[in-house]
Amino acid sequence: MEINYNRPIDADLFPEGASRCSFTQFSLWMGFLTAILLVGLYAMFLVFRYGIGVTHLDDHFGFGLWITFDLAVIALGAGAFFTGLLRYILNIDPLKNIINLAVIFGFICYTGAMLVLVLDIGQPLRSWFGYWHANVHSMLTEVIFCITCYCIVLIIEYIPLIFEQKQLNRIPLLHHIAHNLHVTMPLFAGMGAFLSTFHQGSLGGMYGVLFGRPYAFRDGFFIWPWTFFLFVLSAAASGPMMTVLVGTIMEKCTGKKLISFDIKALMGKIAGTMLLVYLVFKFLDTGAWIMSIAPRSGLEFDQFFHGWIYGKWLLVAELLLCGVLPCVILLKKNLRENPALLYTAGLLDCAGITINRYVLTVQTLAFPSLPFEQWQTYAPNWVEWAPCFMVFAYAAVLLSLSYRYLPVFPQEKQLNG
Amino acid sequence: MSAKKEFSVKWGMAIDLDKCTGCGACMVACQAENNLAPQADASNKRRVMNWLVVYELSNGKAFPDHEVAYLPRPCQQCAEQPCATVCPVVATERNEEGGIVSQVTPRCIGCRYCMAACPYHARYFNWFDPIWPKGMEKALTPDVSMRPRGVVEKCTFCHHRFMQAKDVLRTKGIDVYTRAVDGKHHCAIPENGYVTSCAEACPNGAIVFGDLNNPAHKVYQLVTGNDNAFRLLERLGTDTAVYYISSREWVRRLGDNYLPDEETQKPQQILPKKH
Amino acid sequence: MKFVAGASAGIMATPVPWKLLDDVSIWTQNWSWIPRNQYGESTYAHAVSKMDPSGVPMRIRLVDGRPVRVLPVEDHPLGGGLTALSVAEVQMLYSPGRVKRPLLRAADGGFTELDWPAAAKILQEKLTEAGKNTAFISGDESSSTNEVLSAFAKGIGSDQVFFMPSEGQCASVAARLMGLEAQFGYDLEKSDYVLAIGANLLESWGTVVRNRRIFKESHPHPVRSAAKGIKEAAPMAVLAYAGSVQNNTAAVARPWLPIYPGSEGLLALGIANMLIAKGRVVDAADFDAFKALAAKFTPEEVARLTGVDPKKLEAVVEGLLKAKAPLVVVGSEFGQGAGAAPLMAAFAVNALLGNINRPGGLVLMPPAQTAMPKAEARSGMYAKDLASWIGTAKPALLVLHEANPVYALPDPESVAAALKNIPFKVSFSTFMDESAALCDLVLPIGMGIERTDDMESPYGCGGSVYCVTPAVVEAEQDVRSTANALLFVARKMGMDLGFETLMDLIKAKAQQYGKAKFDVLASGKALVDDRTVGPRGLKLRADILGKALQPAAKAKDALCLAPYAKLSMGTAKTGIPPYNNKTLRAGDLDGTAMTVLMNAATASKKGMANGDRLLLDSGRRRIAAKLRVYEGVMNDTVAVCLGFGHTALDEFSQNKGANVMELMTAAAEPGTGLSVWTGTAVAVSKA
Repeated sequence: MEINYNRPIDADLFPEGASRCSFTQFSLWMGFLTAILLVGLYAMFLVFRYGIGVTHLDDHFGFGLWITFDLAVIALGAGAFFTGLLRYILNIDPLKNIINLAVIFGFICYTGAMLVLVLDIGQPLRSWFGYWHANVHSMLTEVIFCITCYCIVLIIEYIPLIFEQKQLNRIPLLHHIAHNLHVTMPLFAGMGAFLSTFHQGSLGGMYGVLFGRPYAFRDGFFIWPWTFFLFVLSAAASGPMMTVLVGTIMEKCTGKKLISFDIKALMGKIAGTMLLVYLVFKFLDTGAWIMSIAPRSGLEFDQFFHGWIYGKWLLVAELLLCGVLPCVILLKKNLRENPALLYTAGLLDCAGITINRYVLTVQTLAFPSLPFEQWQTYAPNWVEWAPCFMVFAYAAVLLSLSYRYLPVFPQEKQLNG
Repeated sequence: MSAKKEFSVKWGMAIDLDKCTGCGACMVACQAENNLAPQADASNKRRVMNWLVVYELSNGKAFPDHEVAYLPRPCQQCAEQPCATVCPVVATERNEEGGIVSQVTPRCIGCRYCMAACPYHARYFNWFDPIWPKGMEKALTPDVSMRPRGVVEKCTFCHHRFMQAKDVLRTKGIDVYTRAVDGKHHCAIPENGYVTSCAEACPNGAIVFGDLNNPAHKVYQLVTGNDNAFRLLERLGTDTAVYYISSREWVRRLGDNYLPDEETQKPQQILPKKH
Repeated sequence: MKFVAGASAGIMATPVPWKLLDDVSIWTQNWSWIPRNQYGESTYAHAVSKMDPSGVPMRIRLVDGRPVRVLPVEDHPLGGGLTALSVAEVQMLYSPGRVKRPLLRAADGGFTELDWPAAAKILQEKLTEAGKNTAFISGDESSSTNEVLSAFAKGIGSDQVFFMPSEGQCASVAARLMGLEAQFGYDLEKSDYVLAIGANLLESWGTVVRNRRIFKESHPHPVRSAAKGIKEAAPMAVLAYAGSVQNNTAAVARPWLPIYPGSEGLLALGIANMLIAKGRVVDAADFDAFKALAAKFTPEEVARLTGVDPKKLEAVVEGLLKAKAPLVVVGSEFGQGAGAAPLMAAFAVNALLGNINRPGGLVLMPPAQTAMPKAEARSGMYAKDLASWIGTAKPALLVLHEANPVYALPDPESVAAALKNIPFKVSFSTFMDESAALCDLVLPIGMGIERTDDMESPYGCGGSVYCVTPAVVEAEQDVRSTANALLFVARKMGMDLGFETLMDLIKAKAQQYGKAKFDVLASGKALVDDRTVGPRGLKLRADILGKALQPAAKAKDALCLAPYAKLSMGTAKTGIPPYNNKTLRAGDLDGTAMTVLMNAATASKKGMANGDRLLLDSGRRRIAAKLRVYEGVMNDTVAVCLGFGHTALDEFSQNKGANVMELMTAAAEPGTGLSVWTGTAVAVSKA
């Protein structure tokens, strides 16, 4: 075969009919990401070598950036389970054009969160105790169960995509595995939806059950505090938009159209609907929190806030600017069909959910639970930030590789025809 | 949430805040008894391992009407624990006659969820490995094992002393638990047969330790029906085993959060609606 | 692919992964760098803390011969609990600041190690050479070691044997000036109204554990029940506190009378005047002169001079008058530098209350006896004022015994400079403190529980008490006791001091005290002697009081300095014990910066706010600090905790704040021969 020197050297690995940037350019990009990964790895080394004391976490803030990060990425990675649910169970067919991306991004989010969790727990070698010595009353046990199981589901969902890589797919065994997995995908999507719903909920439940912490504590239904349901809904409301945003960022980076706008708008509509449902309950929940939990804890609403750092602006931003506003944009057809507005709404939506996870994690702990205490403040240090950026870089690496070599976007050929 | 466990014997404390001068002897005695590691720089209190902390309380008034009180805070040994219910690996639970919330550090995975749950800040994490100055490991007691980094620990009411007291009875051939006239089990450990290290050290007798269910015990007499008694954050429904007593209303009022128009409550008057 | 899958499945079927998991759970409990429990038989031994100046009886728990815990002793006249300092005594055995073997200053300025025979030889040479130009400073008032020091000094022709300044010294000098051959004792046990003026009874004054046990016994727990009609029982004894800081005593005292620091004696005179106005008199030759002096201290004048609230003071005086056994205790809020005059004024008040040698009153105990023929009595050593001497005298040789003047005396920088001018300095010390670090020869001595020692009537006790503390454990370091080392050198120098070892001296002393057996005393028994001596020839010495009790001079916008002491912060000799820096509360220390306290009114008057960085300037020295607004401080006063700013010792004491002694300057107290430094004024500015 004649060698075409204008083609990147790894062109044979590209998806059928797709063009990609030069291998040099790709290597430079990978080199940049590796540098970020290395900084994160160094931070991880420090934590494992010396202890979590190298961070700014302390006995008052046992949870901090890492837990916030985990909760946020797991919520934002919910595009995978929710899109899967809609695509495979509810058979909303157009979503097939974005489901691959949703799965990959979900996989990244969950594995990234697990990586950070391993850093965050003091005895990672004992992490399997969660299975062996499980406390069935703990929301965290449910989280450990569901996240690890769902991670396996995501791997199973990711595998056929990898095996569909042009060269790999030529191997009959891999081809058949991929094909058979595709056939059984609704089953896994169902499992994923089930597991994911529960651990999203359990993550919320983790806070809602903290009856010693009036900032986070919520009443609930049976064993589940309202935060359980709010977390499921908010994840469903933000995950699809995060998938859209990731896809859009990839489009900006590659300079190609990867997902048709109507799919994005559809995702926006779905997210907007979920956001509306979520907000209704969230406002009810906030009302109950202010009117019931606060007074019976002997607290006035104002006491839940402190200065600028834990001020009421966070609540306003979470509920109005990053809640009601994107909800309106996403639900109104004419607004959401404006790309700029759709993306803005997506950003706001995701930001709102992140603020929610942040305040529940950090403000809960900053609040002086003993009446003779003062508010405490927390700011993470670089050792905490570095692994988070490492996960971002890891996401970029995985997305870049998947984009370059795997048939992630069914519409790519058609849109860039 | 799991059902509340009731025990015939419930070890508890009555801490007299009108007696505590805030000297810190209890804190040092606790560290020595439970093999805590010293820290050269203990200025960041959020990183200082102390199972027992003495808080300073102020009546909030300006000089010369200012009053100060000191509040020693061990683990409150809640009957409704915010912590044990959330531990994913059952490293901490209240499941033994006596009602002490255990802390099994070899089981702990260090997730710190219990710390986030505990409103009393009674739980501490080993941020680094414990280091004793050279030779000081010889002064460690054989009763409490040392904890590595990465696990959470807390006050256990000197649980090893409970076990030692039971051993003393057993070697004498005395049954540890006996059925009293009221039909309940009582512990045969004499009133001062089991005392925590902090209570033992305090020259002011500010910490009274004993069985909250035993009418013969001083601690029972001090807290039962005493309008001067209160518990920390009683309205959360944690049902703690540590009572505080003070004749000063402002001190009692600082034991819980109150709305401005609420009256200071007596113990067990504030019953949780739900949790 | 098949192989990998098959291998994975195969491995899972073997015990390997499960065994590994099981091992992991064991490994994570048994890291090699985490110390393991060392088991052994528990034994218990009795001792008395020589580390804690308040004389705490202790029960030491040993496991396999290793001391692991300090436990309280209940049945002991000074017992009933532990202080934050004494409870740390076992851990202090392993303080990184310990001196491990004799050290000699080398030509390059560093220390070289040597053995005891060589060290003793050098000591002997230096003592022979310096002869009567040798001075001794002892930091332990209650041990018979002082007899060895003073007898040795006499043997080489020196009478320069000093104690580190203390409340005991102030009281002893006061007694002597008033014509009393006695040690003041305080029968707190039987008193039903105790007014402590500056004396931090429950934390740093006198026999702390005993004081606190008495407080416990006299204060029932507050039990009240509306339903059962139970009213709160009143305390059996009132504890009132007058002082400038709402310290550990003031926290539980009812009431607290805030006064300016250093005005304790003036308040006592004011109280005396009020008592005289109620018709109280004292059977003393110079009572009229005293009465005339006291008359100047009208309630209004006293309120002006001390800042006391006249109404509150009147209530307290009423209480004293009504009480069956009132007792007024005057001291310094930081346990030193008060001079003799406030103690004399306090004695006058107690005499006016008619409680001298009465149950619950001020007791005149027979002075401590000596057993060593040439030894000087404790009161004789007390009569010599170290703070004024050290700046002027130029001995050829200085021997320190458990004394750290470079940290603990006023103006430590000048003290260090004075020490540097002394050609040869020897320190018998357990820890490498600031003074030892300046010495030419450092001789390690065992801690209290590593040596046989004794304690005779520590200041503040209610009657003569004698305790022996045996060596509970053998020191790992190459240590001797000061007394034995000096007795050894004495024999080498051909001096006969009457005893070969401290043990012999203690045995003789035990005999002297009611023919007690050493072994009985060593097992924790205290000898108590309730005999008193009469106040014959009592003089109230208005002549001295009139001159000595003057309000401290203070520039208009300066603040009064109120140093305060906490036992948890250790002593100048020990520094902060390893566990004790954790007892500092949030805000006591911000990194390495210490906090000082002012009330909000004072702070706002100075234009300062909570958290401001400050400079405290005495005119001679300055220290930096951070402001914490705390309402439990007298107006126009800045309160500073003692025990910070160590530059020697170990990492638990170093890099923590500044030494407040830097701000103080000893001034002569007219007519008493003592120095005072309780009334210091400082200029405070924002840094």
